[in-house]
Order: sequence, then C-alpha cells, then structure tokens
Amino acid sequence: MTEGKKGQIELTFNWMYVLIAGTVILLFFVGIVVKQKAASEERLSLDVLRVMDSIFVGAGVSEKTKNFIDMSGLVDYTLYFDCSDGVGHYGLKGTSADSENAIDPIFAPAEIQGTQLIVWSLPYKLPFKVIDFLFVSSSNTIYYLFSDDTDFANDFTNVTQGYNVKYTITPKYNEIDPGKSFQVRIVDNGGIVVKNKGQVPTKLKGMDDDKVSAVVFTGSNQVDYYQKEGALWKKLNFNPVQIISLGGERDAAKYGAVFSANDKDYHCNMKKAFLRLKYLNEVYGGKEISLGNVGGKLGEMVDYYDVHKELELTRPDCIGNVKKYDSNLVSLMQTHQLRVSACLLQQSSCADLISSAADLKKVNMALGVDCITLY
Amino acid sequence: MAYLNRKGQLHMTETIAVMFIFFVLIMFAMIFYYKYQQIAFKEKQDELLAARAMDKTLKALFLPELLCTKGDAEAEDNCFDLMKLRHANETFVKYLTNYYFNVFSYARISVEQLYPEKKEFVLYDKLKPDATGAEKTYFVVILKDEVRGEGLPQYNFGYVMVEVYQ
Repeated sequence: MTEGKKGQIELTFNWMYVLIAGTVILLFFVGIVVKQKAASEERLSLDVLRVMDSIFVGAGVSEKTKNFIDMSGLVDYTLYFDCSDGVGHYGLKGTSADSENAIDPIFAPAEIQGTQLIVWSLPYKLPFKVIDFLFVSSSNTIYYLFSDDTDFANDFTNVTQGYNVKYTITPKYNEIDPGKSFQVRIVDNGGIVVKNKGQVPTKLKGMDDDKVSAVVFTGSNQVDYYQKEGALWKKLNFNPVQIISLGGERDAAKYGAVFSANDKDYHCNMKKAFLRLKYLNEVYGGKEISLGNVGGKLGEMVDYYDVHKELELTRPDCIGNVKKYDSNLVSLMQTHQLRVSACLLQQSSCADLISSAADLKKVNMALGVDCITLY
Repeated sequence: MAYLNRKGQLHMTETIAVMFIFFVLIMFAMIFYYKYQQIAFKEKQDELLAARAMDKTLKALFLPELLCTKGDAEAEDNCFDLMKLRHANETFVKYLTNYYFNVFSYARISVEQLYPEKKEFVLYDKLKPDATGAEKTYFVVILKDEVRGEGLPQYNFGYVMVEVYQ
C-alpha cells in the first residue's frame, strides 16, 4: 500500500519534471527565434543602407547615367529620405538603421516603396563643377509634366527617359489617373494648372495627401511646392524658392527642385552644395581670397604672368583678365567667395551667387582663347 | 533495503553521467558557434573594408577639388589638375574635422608623380588611432600642369594611392 503511494508520487513528479523541462526548452527556442528575427531584420536594414551608400557613391560619379536598381526583395519596406540642418538622412522606415549624409545632395521624394529604384546624377556647376546632385526616385512614382515652354518639356522628357514621366496638356489635367502608382508628382512649368487652394485632379482625390504633390516653376527661376490637402492644393513654402544656377540644358538645380520632396529638403541639399562651393573657392582662389589675398590655382596663374612679363605684349588679355581689367578673376573670385559666405548665413542672399558665377564664367571664357583658364 | 540503496546510487551516477555528457556537448556547440562567429565577423569586416576602400577611391578620383576641367565641357577623366592639387591639401587640412572627414573618414590619400620627376603629394591623412591594418588601392592618373609647359599644358604621369585604415 505504501509502495503504491510512493509510485504515484514518483509518477506525478516525473510528469511535472518533463512538463517544466519541456516548457523551458520550448521557451528557449522561442526566445532564439524571436531574437534571430529581430537581429536579421536589423541586419537587413543595415545591409540595405550599406548597399544604398555604395549605389549612391557609384551613381554620383557616373554622371548623367541612370541606374535602375531592382529592389523587389524590399517591396514590403518603405525607404525614407529627409534633410534638415544640412544633414541628409535615409533608411528603412520602422527600423533603427539610419544613414546620415552631410556631404552629398540627394534629391528624393520623402518616401519610396516599390520594386525598382532609379538613381541618376548631374553635375552642379557655379560656374565650375561644385558637386554631383543625386536624384532618387522609383518606377512607381509618376511625374505629370505640364509646360508652356516646349524647350523645357523636350529637355525634361529626354533626360528623364526611364522614369515614369507623362507629358500632358492643360485640358487633360482632370483626367490624370494614378493607376497603381505609389505617389504622383505634378511638374507645372509656368504655373499653368496648379494654384494655391485650387482643385486637385479628380482621380487623385482618393489618394493619401502625402502621396500627391506638385512643383510649380514660375517666372524668374523660382519654384513653389504644393501638397494635396483633401481636395485642394496647399502651398508649402511661404516665400518662393529661388533656383541658384546658370540655367541651360540639364540644369542640376532645376532638376533638384523637380525631384525634391519639399522646399525644406531642397534648401537643405542646396546648402550642402554651397558649403562645398566655399571650400572649392579656396582651392581655386586661396584660403584668404575673401580678403582679396590671392592664392590657390589663381595665385599660381598670377605668379606665372608676373614672371612671364613678355606675355603682356604678346597676350595682354591674359594678365588683363586675370588681374588688371575692371572685371578680373581676382576681384570676381573675392566677390564670389564673399557671396557664398553670405548665402550660408542667410538663404535669401544666395541669389547673388548667380551674377558672380556668370561674371566668372564670362572672364574664364575670354581666357580660354590662348591663356591659362581658371577652370 | 541495502539493495534498494545501491540501485538508487547507480541511478544517480547514471543521471550525473548523462548530464555531464550533455553539458560537454553544449560546451562544444558553444565553442564551435563562437569560433564560427569570430571567423564570420572577421570576413565581414574585411568585406566592409574592401567596399569602403573602393568607395573612397571612387570619391577621390572624381573630386572637383582635383579634377582637370575644360570650361563648360565634361571634366577630363583620370586627370588631376596640378595647379589645384598643390593647394587642395591646405583646404583638406583646414576643414578636415568638420567636412572632409565625412568624405574620406580614416584614410590617407596621396598622389605619386612618376614622370618627369618623382614627387609625392599627400592630400589627406587621418590616421585611425587603433588601426589594425589598411587596404590600399592604386589608380593611374595624368597630372596636368598648365604653368610648366611651353605655351601648352604639360602632362605628367603618376598614380593615386588611397589607403583606408581598418
């Protein structure tokens, strides 16, 4: 009878022991799976950032070449791009991985989700090459172009081959159909269709507000950003955004405005370019060029013409354009550098850079005949 | 009673032996996993270093501070302007901490001129305090000097060396 009770206790104890041990082992493996899942997601986001960094470096140096990157494996993830205080950020939404970039101007929508990423770059010149502007978009971001300027329309459609661009006419504004696209950007050259508090195209009214935006180029190289708010357009910028460039075809600053999410991002990326311009000016004109003390490449040019006095007779325009004429490289570089410094302090003064860059370009072209050029 | 005690002792020894073997196996698995992770980590580090070296080399080769230009035309490929190169170092040093470190990180970039005479230009040098190694990449470049030629630019020859510290 006593042995029977002992057997019962032993049997119950064994079962309890098995249950507890089994639960512990099960919990251990569940813990491992959960930790591995979190770790692999973290690893994936870091790998994506690393690959994106490399892609951006490659795309940045392969000017004017469009890179189509398959990202069908990341179709469930959303890439985000942002820029504030001169520092750009990008990464995968919902993960802790975030890449900071204070150097390269990256113009992109705020969010991208799709199967194909499109990366393209153009050199920004003011008047010499300052930096490469990187434009990032996706194949499911549709750009609807309205333009009263056929030259711009032709340039735009030519250079954006491979992007989802539709050149359309004003009467068809209300027929815009987003289809299955992730987001829509209307590019209005001349302020033809998009107005503040104006109606958003009918078929876009059902889309999320942050997925419908517009960029409007107005006279004198200015741009305004709009965002859908319900059924109406809402202007994002208080003051018009000035495009700082010398114009022409494939104008990097203008295309930057097209691909930028909003005025804040655009200014932030342009600031990166202006900061680089300040440092480049020192390579060209010396570190004290803002004080009028010439150095750098320009200093070598001045020294060369000082030594080769005979050139004053045979090629008087060389030394003239470098330092003697009213409009000469030394004084123009000084003005240019002072204006860059002012621009970095106050955004509204950046427009002054256009005239100093244009003057430098003119003198450099004059030197191009048979003198040493600045760039 | 004595028989039961001995049976119990035998059972206990058997359990201890099983547990010992179990823990030995666990220990082996842990050592194996640790070694595997160590090797995988080293391989990943090497891979990252190689990728970083390639990125920095690309950046160095296309630096506007060094590239030869021809007005509004495309920049000349694989060509550095010696008139800019001789002064670029001053700018890189001046703005190293607040700008160029973000471009090149821990690295050394130098240009070795081989022809007409041997000369070295150190453009950027930021040594990593606890560096365990470095990945070197070389690239041949033309060095254009407009103030040395007789009316025409003089084209020298050399290579750029990008050393990325690990």
